[in-house]
Amino acid sequence: MRVGSREPGVGNRPRAPAVAALGALVLTALAGTARGQDTTAHSGVRIGITYAPGTRPSLAVMRTTSAAGLDSVRAILERDLDHSDRFEVLWRPSAGDVVDSAAIARVVRGGAAQVLTLVGDSGGVARVTVMDVRSGQSLHRARIPLADVTGRAFRLRVHALADDIVREVVGQAGAAASALLYVQGGRLWQVDADGHGVRALPAAGSPALSPAWAPDGRRIAYTAFVRSGQPIVVQDLVSGARTVVPTTEYGLNITPSFAPDGRRLAFAHGTEAGTDIYVWEGGTGVSRLTVGRFADNLSPAWSPDGARIAFVSTRARSPQLYVMNADGTDQEVLARFDFGATGTTSSPAWSPDGALVAFHREVGGVPQVFVLDVAGRGVRQVTGAGRNEDPTWAPDGRHLAFVSTRDGRRDLWVADLETGRLRRLTSVGGARLPAWSPRFTLTAERE
Amino acid sequence: MNRSTRCRLAVLWAVLLSTACSQNPPPQAATPADSAALRARADSIARAERARADSLAAARRDSIARADAPMERSRADSVRAQIQENGGSAPPATASGLDAAAEAVLFETVLFDYDRADVRPDQAAKLAAKLAILRANPRLEVRIEGHCDERGPDEYNLALGNRRAAAVKRWFVEHGIPESRLTIVSYGEERPADPASTEDAFARNRRAEFRVTRAAR
Repeated sequence: MRVGSREPGVGNRPRAPAVAALGALVLTALAGTARGQDTTAHSGVRIGITYAPGTRPSLAVMRTTSAAGLDSVRAILERDLDHSDRFEVLWRPSAGDVVDSAAIARVVRGGAAQVLTLVGDSGGVARVTVMDVRSGQSLHRARIPLADVTGRAFRLRVHALADDIVREVVGQAGAAASALLYVQGGRLWQVDADGHGVRALPAAGSPALSPAWAPDGRRIAYTAFVRSGQPIVVQDLVSGARTVVPTTEYGLNITPSFAPDGRRLAFAHGTEAGTDIYVWEGGTGVSRLTVGRFADNLSPAWSPDGARIAFVSTRARSPQLYVMNADGTDQEVLARFDFGATGTTSSPAWSPDGALVAFHREVGGVPQVFVLDVAGRGVRQVTGAGRNEDPTWAPDGRHLAFVSTRDGRRDLWVADLETGRLRRLTSVGGARLPAWSPRFTLTAERE
Repeated sequence: MNRSTRCRLAVLWAVLLSTACSQNPPPQAATPADSAALRARADSIARAERARADSLAAARRDSIARADAPMERSRADSVRAQIQENGGSAPPATASGLDAAAEAVLFETVLFDYDRADVRPDQAAKLAAKLAILRANPRLEVRIEGHCDERGPDEYNLALGNRRAAAVKRWFVEHGIPESRLTIVSYGEERPADPASTEDAFARNRRAEFRVTRAAR
């Protein structure tokens, strides 16, 4: 994965006229490679367009009939496919209009779009067809019942379809069918990955901090400030059931992190002798991983194979990034630092493919998001404008959400590490401590 | 050959021997001096490993013992009950049973330097004044709250606030106040005394606050 060390500036992505020009350019450049080339991805999925970094297929999403709710499907798909950053989405002034077969034929003949997503309907069901324009081959077909088109379940179904389309066309799924937790005003909030559906979650205490997802996308863990303590609470988002992690009824309990197995949970427990990382093994079993002795050890982040844990420690006075085995052995520095010179380093997040760890580090007293290559230990700065903190990975492994003050207030932003494109996710002010969910498993019915 | 040179040679011999062991069949029996050195080395390794295992085991026992302590069980039950509510957080205030002057001294905040948790020399007089009140009122129990300014990572600030509260508690314990009369809690940067983003506000927010959890009378 290519990681830009430059600032991914807002709006540095070519828009309408430039896109058209680029589309034509890409078309010429890809004339030999994009056309109906069959490629087999790792999962055995046959795909029709070869994806190469920097040369993205152009794509249009068009509505062919006028049934109620159909434009919702078209608009959500178009935005999700755009947010995947895998395509040059052709924005048309008449995007909401119904196109006829002559218009489609013009697009096909003119070669403006390489991938065409057509949204039509029959009998209360949206029918979505994805075509490789050059070969005329159908890449994907799906149907979604047009019921309760403003409801969450409906939106989620369309997001999941968008992820399927990305996978069918480029070989790796998108991250549209996911959501982020964050803290604002001491409460827990959830927002869909496209910025819609902001809602408050009932929490066990106020403030509620450091929300974390379980791999099942159904349970979350967080620190709850209750009257007589700061326990780690595990909460089921569907049933609402809550439990306290054993031993967290006492002292300071912060930064919970579910292991990839969904069973173990690491957290930091603070006493008068400092803060250390513990792992709850399920049941009543809690074991200690660090022995800080008046130092702080916190913010555990599991590697996706569950074998390693990145964490923050003040063992060398300033908070820096370390890594250890999941049983607490082999503790070592993860992100190199100059003693006394490198700024406070915090909030590690391990990428879904295990290759990278995102974190933030103060540069001249201002936190910026960095990405570390775990194998080579090289570090690259991802942000530069404003204060940027607390990165969290999208399930597609190429997008990062983080807190940024680049627009004046603390809000959540999403950066695509490959193109450097940036989008704003929330506009609430005071948003912090985001956690991106795994991809929700709710799939559109396939034809 | 003096004694220390002999010792060094013995250790060197032992190391060579142990290296050889890993590659070859067991060598001839060592001389008594050599085997003593070998034993000493093995003993020191075993001791170190035992100490590490003991400290890990003790740490584990420590975390589990807290959950098992009968006197703490009611508190655990209480926390488990509290998380079933939505958003309740403010601990109830307890009347101090002190006169207004003593209360003002007890509740005066203690300030800290940026990213530091050690008690500042210029703040020690405030602690000494509180110490006199704690000594004069042996029934009085106090909760020490550690706070931070808004700079630094939010979660790290919770750990830092905890260290601040712990440092103040340690100061009192070192001056003879029983540990059981003092509890600590950290609010990190969550409850600023002054919400402004200025150096003055930051200085006011890096603090320990004091709450009465058991009245003086």
